[in-house]
Amino acid sequence: MNIKQIAEAAGVSVATVSRVLNHPENVAPKTREKIQKIIDEEEYTPNWFAQGLNFKKTRTIGLVLPQNINSANMEVANAVEEVARQKGYITLICNMEKDPRREKEYLDQLITRKVDGLILLYSTLNEEYASWIEDENVPAVLIGETRARDNWDSVFVDCRAGAAEMTAHLIECGHRRIAMLCGKDPEPEAKAMLQGYKNVLKASGIKVEETLIYQVNNNIEGGYIGMKKMIGRLPKRPDAVFASSDEIAYGAMDALKEMKLRVPEDIAVAGFGNDRMSSLMEPKVTTVELPYRKMGIYGARMLFDQIEEKESKAPKRRRAKKIQLQTKIRIRKSCGHRERIGEMF
Amino acid sequence: MLNTTFLGMELPNPVMIAAGPWNRDGKGLKESLEAGAGAVVTESIVSDTMLDVRPRISCDRLGAENIRMYSDIQVEGWEREMDIAKSAGGVVIASISGHTPSELAYLASKMERFGADAIELSVSNPAAESLEVVASHADILFDMTKEVVSAVSLPVMVKLSQNTTNISKVAKAVKAAGGSGVTAINTVRGILGVDLEKAVPSLSTYGGISGEYIRPLGLASVATIAQTVDIPICGVGGISSAQNALEYLMLGASAVQVGTDVMIQGKDSIRKIVQDLEIWAQNHNVRSLEEIRGKALENLKAFDEMKFEPAVSHANGVPCGENCSLCVNACMYSAISRSGDSISIDRSRCTGCGLCTSICPAKKLKLDL
Repeated sequence: MNIKQIAEAAGVSVATVSRVLNHPENVAPKTREKIQKIIDEEEYTPNWFAQGLNFKKTRTIGLVLPQNINSANMEVANAVEEVARQKGYITLICNMEKDPRREKEYLDQLITRKVDGLILLYSTLNEEYASWIEDENVPAVLIGETRARDNWDSVFVDCRAGAAEMTAHLIECGHRRIAMLCGKDPEPEAKAMLQGYKNVLKASGIKVEETLIYQVNNNIEGGYIGMKKMIGRLPKRPDAVFASSDEIAYGAMDALKEMKLRVPEDIAVAGFGNDRMSSLMEPKVTTVELPYRKMGIYGARMLFDQIEEKESKAPKRRRAKKIQLQTKIRIRKSCGHRERIGEMF
Repeated sequence: MLNTTFLGMELPNPVMIAAGPWNRDGKGLKESLEAGAGAVVTESIVSDTMLDVRPRISCDRLGAENIRMYSDIQVEGWEREMDIAKSAGGVVIASISGHTPSELAYLASKMERFGADAIELSVSNPAAESLEVVASHADILFDMTKEVVSAVSLPVMVKLSQNTTNISKVAKAVKAAGGSGVTAINTVRGILGVDLEKAVPSLSTYGGISGEYIRPLGLASVATIAQTVDIPICGVGGISSAQNALEYLMLGASAVQVGTDVMIQGKDSIRKIVQDLEIWAQNHNVRSLEEIRGKALENLKAFDEMKFEPAVSHANGVPCGENCSLCVNACMYSAISRSGDSISIDRSRCTGCGLCTSICPAKKLKLDL
């Protein structure tokens, strides 16, 4: 049955049925009950697309992830969905597989499908595309550092500071030759981390050796291959390896195990992210906690703030909201520390 | 008579109920106001609720220890809770906690929109926030306060920690950043005790100590801030009676907060404190709190200003019928002796330390020139 047939069966106008569905408080209780009874009996649900057209709202938000096989990204997605659900929205999750072309395709699709807002995690968006989204007047929030737009609301983490803190910790553990397995993406974050690592080495009077820095794919395989190559090529192995993500660290540890090198006795390892797995590895991985849940929660909160502002027709804000979240070092066993001083108490 | 203005807010009395689980939602806050609190502070609201560890509170006769007590209601839910809390018509202060200036500013502006009357920044919780609480760093606290102040048009007060080397410095940073006031103090990092048979500490990680244990620390912190920084102070720590509240007020606080006592005794304890305060003021002919605020500070000097006077203890010539020898036992200089009903003091041995005057239950001993 469609809404017209419901109206006919109840002997009321289509508008009245619509009111029962959308503003039941405006319908006389008796009429409301009668119509609701028919709706229930016929198991009628309103046409979701038609409703979207009518109210210019689909109660849907789009979330574009760089990759959904990654547990950290899923933690962000989970938090976004949680807030969206509380707000009565559903979340369409698209996986761009770290492919800028695919990201654009998905954005096109999401906007065509009239989502009420967009959340982009580690977006590869360029200037031109970003202004297209602005022209479409779709509320949007970025999670992660942006390369293109400064005038977008965003949630980000100071990865440079996090990497600097970890590098300093590795030095404090007594390591001098500290290698870095640096993921190629997300690019702005990777660059910031490399910078943080180099800054601390320099400040501590340790020479930055480019032969100790490997650019790898940001996944377990990338860490595995990078570690193997590094050990194979260097005449003398480093004291420690700092991976720009926990997945890279897992891959590196796997390679070290294969090469019969012990962590941390022969070579220390540190990760970045504090994935769930990091505290389940043997040895437990020392890492930098990224607030994935909070990133998702804030991304979603800021998006709904924008959506609500748009609805309330409040004067448009000029200044973008930027929320910076904190990283926190998690000292476990893989770094080879001897004192518990830096540990969380 | 007890009504007062704090940070521009009109309060019926200066006794607030502090942030904590007893103010965990709108209903709890409303009940706190109805119990007679001058204002209420919400349990600390955070960006993302966390699972609570169990157990997380332990107590003994003198106070309590807790691990991280934050709101378990998400920011979205506080819109409704704040409505309920405000329906009682009193002053509701939103306590917020976070780790970066922008995070705190966001939470503050949300709470402003939901109807809070003021913001209390709680960045001094010692439990589960690592060894150095944020509030021990004046520069970080400055940045946080500044960003929150510029995000809202409400009064912003900052809850300070005694776990800092110089509380005056952090209070100054709050003022410089535009903060309207400070709350002193938060719980103090500690362990209540150890079960010797099981070799198990009171809680399974370090906690924040509250209650009588920390009142002397709170009083000193409030006095220090009052003597060094011109900023309104809300005194907290171990208040369970009107006397305690008055001590804070006399040392420079403009208002006080009660937490642990409410947790242990229930909210009726507030009613009693406020009533007793009223009675005390009547008996002492105090018409306004301004008359007593900071009054004891005049008698609190810097060590350098103290005079070296050859005062010694006197027994006032009154025979002592007390069946105790506390003063005799406590005299480290062997100057006090008892024979029968009388206490005698060897003035050549007495060095005027003063211990006997406070240990005597009958207050019979006095220092005199």
